[in-house]
Amino acid sequence: MSITLDQLTKRYQGVPVVNDVSLEIGDGEFFVLLGPSGSGKSTLLRAIAGLSGLDHGRIALHGRDVTHVSARRRGVGLVFQNYALFRHMSVGENIEFALRVRRVRAAERRRRRQELLRLVALEGMDERLPGQLSGGQQQRVAVARALAHQPEVLLLDEPFGALDAKIREGLRRTIREVQRELGITTILVTHDQEEAFAMADRIGVMNFGRLLESGKPQDLYTRPTTRFVATFLGAANLILARQGADGPRWGAWPASVHNSGLGIAREREVVAVVRPEEIEIARSRDTLCCSNYLGHGVVEEVLFTGALERTRIRIEETPDAPILAHTNGDGAVLLEATRPQFEQREFALSPGQSVTIGVRRAHVLPTPLSSFTVCAPNSSAAERLAGNPLLLDLSSRMKTRVRRHVEPMLGGSTPLRETPAPLPGTTVIAARAEVASDVNWLLEHGVEEVLILPEHAPSPKRVLIHWTGESARSATLAVSASVLRHLAAEAIYVDVLPEQTPAGERSSGIRSLLDARSEARVTHGLEIRTEMRFGVAAQALEQQLDESPGQMLIVGIASASQLTNELATLLARPRWPVLLVHREREAPAHSRSAA
Amino acid sequence: MRDGQPTVLPGFGLTLGFTTFFLSAVVLLPLAALVLLAASTPLPQLLADVTSPRALASYQLSFGGALLAACINLVFGFIIAWTLARYEFPGRKLMDAMIDMPFALPTAVSGIALTAVFSVNGWLGRYLAEYAGIHVAYTRIGVILAMTLIGMPFAVRTVQPALLEVQRDLEDAAETLGAGRWYVFRRVIVPAVLPAMLTGFTLAFARALGEYGSVIFISGNLPMKTEITPLLIVIHLEEFDYRGAAALGFVMLAASFVILFAINLLQAWGRDRLVRRGS
Repeated sequence: MSITLDQLTKRYQGVPVVNDVSLEIGDGEFFVLLGPSGSGKSTLLRAIAGLSGLDHGRIALHGRDVTHVSARRRGVGLVFQNYALFRHMSVGENIEFALRVRRVRAAERRRRRQELLRLVALEGMDERLPGQLSGGQQQRVAVARALAHQPEVLLLDEPFGALDAKIREGLRRTIREVQRELGITTILVTHDQEEAFAMADRIGVMNFGRLLESGKPQDLYTRPTTRFVATFLGAANLILARQGADGPRWGAWPASVHNSGLGIAREREVVAVVRPEEIEIARSRDTLCCSNYLGHGVVEEVLFTGALERTRIRIEETPDAPILAHTNGDGAVLLEATRPQFEQREFALSPGQSVTIGVRRAHVLPTPLSSFTVCAPNSSAAERLAGNPLLLDLSSRMKTRVRRHVEPMLGGSTPLRETPAPLPGTTVIAARAEVASDVNWLLEHGVEEVLILPEHAPSPKRVLIHWTGESARSATLAVSASVLRHLAAEAIYVDVLPEQTPAGERSSGIRSLLDARSEARVTHGLEIRTEMRFGVAAQALEQQLDESPGQMLIVGIASASQLTNELATLLARPRWPVLLVHREREAPAHSRSAA
Repeated sequence: MRDGQPTVLPGFGLTLGFTTFFLSAVVLLPLAALVLLAASTPLPQLLADVTSPRALASYQLSFGGALLAACINLVFGFIIAWTLARYEFPGRKLMDAMIDMPFALPTAVSGIALTAVFSVNGWLGRYLAEYAGIHVAYTRIGVILAMTLIGMPFAVRTVQPALLEVQRDLEDAAETLGAGRWYVFRRVIVPAVLPAMLTGFTLAFARALGEYGSVIFISGNLPMKTEITPLLIVIHLEEFDYRGAAALGFVMLAASFVILFAINLLQAWGRDRLVRRGS
């Protein structure tokens, strides 16, 4: 392996900007780190270059641990967005800089300079000053300069950011050719997914300091495991579907889904990714040629963009219609579709037109959190709870819905009238003194995930994970992974052993910690830290949660009785957000891993 | 120039005319008067005036002191500008504002303040004299100190923006290329801010050369020892020897013009190297 990153963490004022990133990059590989601005990708690159320190973790280049080696001795070449050329030196002097520092003889320097200038197609430009060159040429000089000392690793930090589209294209090709010719392991940082697709052998997608997924561009596009990757790599419609024993359904109609990714026996809500190009638009249900019926809609907008036509369609919201997860802020629920020329000729669209929609191919995300349903005894309380900042944050980052549901049973005065309809997604309730009885009631009625929110909960910086009962274990890890992808927080799995654990049994406790960590990593791509405590679980957790503000608890339970016995004190009056995961029986293992 | 694109201010002709007029009225005419006055003196007398031992000693102190003060400012001005530009610390804004104080004070006040601190009974001067045997007030050291104080803001204020402009990326780039700190400083940072440093040096030098108010308080004005040329001119004036004063003034004028012009040329050359265009 050329580059090995092991649990890199970098905090900035307590908030992790690079959060437990582990990654291996092979010899000669072109790896692209993709993410929105502020996702920590540039910080990660600077850490690899040795320009910024780390709070935790190790970096190895070609098997050599360089964690504590200064930038000047790491042997990396770094290219910046703004070129960072020495403006008082000529092109030749710039390129020779690294050789001059190393006291290389003049003849050798000249030979190397000619070679590099040829490589980046700037022969004969030696005497020019950077100020006399165009942006594209300057960046070529920067690439040549970064390669002069024959680094083991080339790092490119948004190298095309300041260039216009035409020049970008040419420089991309040059860099790719140079990289192939030298066979140098390269990491490129960008926020442009098109650039990532064009250049990468492998792409790693970052958000909130975490490396969410990495893989071949095609795999990531067709089979993402997280909704962030699904929506960041290209456009995607996220549709809430019902997953039953007989497969997923769009509203009332069965959907054929490739590689569902989930082996779920029980009925539940899932998130399906439908790419705009996988949507078929027809006059009626009978004329759909090659797809599954999704529903009816009205064309809102038609945009001609050259090769493709982009259409936005409003889906009619009937009880048996499919539901889009993403509400675009203003409540408008628009499905995005693109059509090639020949489909446009066959069936021309105009705004206001009624159409039938089919889906050629969909991909179900293996995330256990599909949507949120706010549950409160009256509508004003539900409205208030729906405005909770943490819930708003989570739902907007997850691009999912928050439904409202009034349930007079909560608050516990009115006797039960009838069994309520099943609540889809994760149920959200307000924290109050007797919240345990609310939770009990919800669990009795088939709810599996309950999020308990205190009124003023800050966005958590740290999430504690704990479970009692092994059957809840993998579900808790899956839920934790799903939540943590959308928070800039660090994850800690806390195992609590009884006070008088004999030394012999402590080692099994440690083993379970390590198992939990490796399961989180292998199955969900989530890096967690682990801690062992002694005493009573509820007390140990409570103590730790009260240590500092900005913490959240995710706790898995196997039965409702555990709530009233072991964890009763935790729910007496929660001052922190608590996400309860309830699984009586273990769900079948996931069919595919997130890695 | 003329046929270029329209600019915010009206045409080239008008602005050049105004520039010429303004320069003439404020700078050239008074200077010409000075030259004429000096030229009307018979040559032997003029030579005797400007080469008298007292005059020569005063040139030495004025030019030498100003040069030394400008050099001191070049070094310490850079360090101050570096600290202010690169670090964030409590009191930075306050310190930044204090840099301009010597601009705002009437120079006589600076002179009095310096004398109060550095005279033999002063706060600092007492200990300097007692333990180190260094006398600041009424010696050449005092003259240079006053000149340094007066020129310091120029040195800082010219370098500060230039340092802010040197991107952190440049240093990072040099570091990843294997350069050590000293190498980066010498080969990357200093060349980038050198033109600004030269400007600061020039301004500080010019200011120190022309300084009068603060120097006369701390120098003691001993002929042949701590007497600066501007003071000698004033002494001539007080004796109604306008020709002698004009002659000395002419020498200062000529010398400072040559020095400033030389530095300007040096700067222009440096700027040229940096942003040479076309070819």
